[in-house]
Amino acid sequence: MFPIDQYAWTHRWRGHHPAERALLAGGMLLIAVTLPPLATAPLVLLAMAGATVTGAGVPLAAWLRVMAIPAGFLLLSLPFLAVSLDLTDGMRLAFSSAGAWLAVAVGLRSLAAVSALAFLTLTTPVAELVPWLRRVGVPQAVVEIALLIYRLLFIVADCAAATRNAQEARLGYSTVRRGIRSLGLLAATLLTRTLARARRLEIGLAARGFEGTLRVLTPERTLSRPHLAAVTAALFAVAAGGLTLHQVLR
Amino acid sequence: MHIMEGFLPPLHAAAWTAVAIPFLVVGARRITRITSEHPRTKLLLASAGAFAFVLSALKIPSVTGSCSHPTGTALGSILFGPSVMAVLGAIVLLFQALLLAHGGLTTLGANIVAMAVVGPWVAYGCFRLTRPLGLGIAVFLAAMLGDLATYLVTAAQLALAFPDPVRGFLGALAKFGGVFAFTQVPLAVIEGLLTVIVVNVLNQYSRNDLDELGFHDRVRAGSSAALKPSTA
Repeated sequence: MFPIDQYAWTHRWRGHHPAERALLAGGMLLIAVTLPPLATAPLVLLAMAGATVTGAGVPLAAWLRVMAIPAGFLLLSLPFLAVSLDLTDGMRLAFSSAGAWLAVAVGLRSLAAVSALAFLTLTTPVAELVPWLRRVGVPQAVVEIALLIYRLLFIVADCAAATRNAQEARLGYSTVRRGIRSLGLLAATLLTRTLARARRLEIGLAARGFEGTLRVLTPERTLSRPHLAAVTAALFAVAAGGLTLHQVLR
Repeated sequence: MHIMEGFLPPLHAAAWTAVAIPFLVVGARRITRITSEHPRTKLLLASAGAFAFVLSALKIPSVTGSCSHPTGTALGSILFGPSVMAVLGAIVLLFQALLLAHGGLTTLGANIVAMAVVGPWVAYGCFRLTRPLGLGIAVFLAAMLGDLATYLVTAAQLALAFPDPVRGFLGALAKFGGVFAFTQVPLAVIEGLLTVIVVNVLNQYSRNDLDELGFHDRVRAGSSAALKPSTA
């Protein structure tokens, strides 16, 4: 159902401490968003593509598939940054070169930022990232609910897919009108089933002495200093490279 | 209608995150209180969140042929209450970024404001105001206007970030709003119809589920009654 999640659990760097990857992705994201995009963004994009595909060993096709949707969205939306609406004599769209440069800069910045996000999501399972929310001050109850959501959503998604299959097999989506009705039925059934499942879980947990906290084991992994040093070096290199390139380009 | 990663300038991204935080704090406090009083509601809330995530990943049969998804903000806000929905919506948006690379981390704040705060509250307000006109009409208007509000907020966020060089913010708002209107207005109507079907089916066949979510209390008493645990 979620190919990203599959790679996140099976790539080559899964034995390393997730904080190393989070630092790399977060740092690159920050660099991509704050430094001048024309010079920095291509470097970030290259570094993140390299780290994902050659470093973590995620197949290139998977990386491209993750990047394709945002890239397609960019292609659709960027032209609207380049044109401006002129209402003086009727509705007219005017092209401006300043707008075009803005569109290129925003497009590059977005692509670079998405590549950092793609690295993070393809190499780090949600279950390892969510506990960090605790560190930024999110209450324990909300973090636990987020983790439970992650564990439940695959079951709910399976149920939705099965219902959808059954409906399609019975021509439930043959026309738009029928499709809307089928989707409504699907959503209602899904909610009923999800709540029934939650109730059964409640009973099961109550029978095991549930008092309000769910404890789960997480594999212990140590932060490696060489890795952290390499990540920091990479971040500095990209930032410095981007800034020098920016000076040269000017 | 997610704003993608890196699309907003850093200042805007930070500002929208700051706008989103108070709503999240209020919702999180409420969730902490509910779950400490009734630990079992945790599972109920988590199921609600998982449901909201899967709902937002379903494909809508669309007239235009483009691939589009329901936002589910109105349904969530009617079923679970808008302040709780802010937190659930934020978690769903975070998971969409992390599991589907849909939306983003830097734009999370802006997306939360549009889809987990403004959308649900507008839907909820509409629902309460139009409730005397009948359940079906109230649900339809809530879902449709909630969707439209979400899309207008997103257009405004983009217009603030990228004002038109000639006509400024309003020009950009007209530009982005006009572009999105082609897909978003039909989608809002479809989502309205869809939500009516869902609420009708639930109302007909699983009234006790709705009771458990405090739905009828919310509809009748006018209090923003919170989730209550099942007595089963």
